[in-house]
Amino acid sequence: MIEILQWTTLIASGAAALSRIPNLVRRKNRSIFYALALLTLAILLSIRGPYLAIDTLLGGTNVANLLLRFIIFGAIFFLALRIAAGFGDSRGVQLIRGRAGMLALGLISAVLVVCFVLMDTSGSSAGLVDVAAKSQQNALLVEYYGAAGRAYPAYVCLAILPGMLRAVRSPLPAMLRMSAALLAVGSIAIPLSLLFPLVPPGLGFLRFVVNYTAILCFVAGLALIWVASGRAGRKHGRVSAQRR
Amino acid sequence: MPLPAKAFQRWLSGVAPDTSTADICRVSGVKRTTLAQQMVRGKVAETTVVSISRAYNINPVAALATFDTYSGLASSSLPPTEKELVSQIATVDLLRAVIVRTAPEGSTGPGQPGLSPTPHATSVKNWVDAIDDGELRHRVSAATGVAPQNYSAQLTANRLAPELAVATSRAAGVGLASGLVATGLVTETEAGWPPGARQAALDRLSDGDLTALAGERLQAMGRTLRRQEQDQEQTERIWENLV
Repeated sequence: MIEILQWTTLIASGAAALSRIPNLVRRKNRSIFYALALLTLAILLSIRGPYLAIDTLLGGTNVANLLLRFIIFGAIFFLALRIAAGFGDSRGVQLIRGRAGMLALGLISAVLVVCFVLMDTSGSSAGLVDVAAKSQQNALLVEYYGAAGRAYPAYVCLAILPGMLRAVRSPLPAMLRMSAALLAVGSIAIPLSLLFPLVPPGLGFLRFVVNYTAILCFVAGLALIWVASGRAGRKHGRVSAQRR
Repeated sequence: MPLPAKAFQRWLSGVAPDTSTADICRVSGVKRTTLAQQMVRGKVAETTVVSISRAYNINPVAALATFDTYSGLASSSLPPTEKELVSQIATVDLLRAVIVRTAPEGSTGPGQPGLSPTPHATSVKNWVDAIDDGELRHRVSAATGVAPQNYSAQLTANRLAPELAVATSRAAGVGLASGLVATGLVTETEAGWPPGARQAALDRLSDGDLTALAGERLQAMGRTLRRQEQDQEQTERIWENLV
């Protein structure tokens, strides 16, 4: 079940990235392609099989996990910035790109790296499960490391959430409001991941459901915008042709 | 609420006895599928009755009056008020009148066109504003149970359900068919407005009143246009950044 969700998300995200290639060639909003490509890579790395294969290639010290965290940071940064700019949420843009956003990114990255270095990370293990099992100290460090990894995406999502909620209630076309609603659901789900340590072990599958649903919501929300733009068709094509 | 299908059928058998549904639809221009669907749901739209009565040369207002919901229409014979008449003149026609009145003699050319037929782009809102004493919306809301914000939303969209239009007329104490003219369900002639009544009301407006009214309409129009432009800009920004 979780496998299906993971691979579905991977395929959806990969397809979305591929669909951006024509615009990449045309140099139009290229950061969306990069964000989706990073996201696809991140999903790939979060699946057990590919993770073990790649990490083994990188020396088997779980560097792939650290890489995964930074890939997620990059993807969410570019994507959220575009979304906030698109929906005219200047405060959201400011919170992500401004001093507060950079401070959050720097601080969280530092915590992430420090935790990683202090851990005994030898032996590839998806989700660092085996690493945590090695010692009491490792277990604690993995906990902090995980929290730091979830903190930055949560910060960014909270930054764009008010803008999305405003867009849902705005007089925008129905499809765009639906898209904003999907993006809002994603932006709510990701901060919820901060509560993962409180989830009882029996309900561990909830972590996966929340994570991948959030990503699916983001990708679907973006795809809906592209559909809406296709529907709006000629008129908007003419305008953007003028601007180019 | 639309009309009950049973009552509609009774009415139809009186209007066009021994006529097949297919024939009725062909003559009246009502789509067969539409009518069939309305019959299945048990609710027939007022527009259907209006179209069919026109096809059979029956006054649509009189036809509606045969249904319980609209029985009041029969007994109401109040003529439209001056304000109502003026509210049903399109903004462009008002502006044209301003120009004609202020232009120097002979410069506007001969043969000025008559007023465009009802309804115009903001006819519903203008009509309600014309008969509103400040409490009208509350009274309509209390009488019909429709929430004020839903009522306002309909006005903004220049729509008003026929039953609400009649309820609004009743609450304002004006002719009951006026609202049906403003919403475009029936024409002014069908509602029994005297021919040329709107033009006459326009001619009776003083220059000052006319100019002030045209100014109000222009301002409202400007606000609407600006809002539309802002919405459009917002959409464009999404295309720019996310497509």
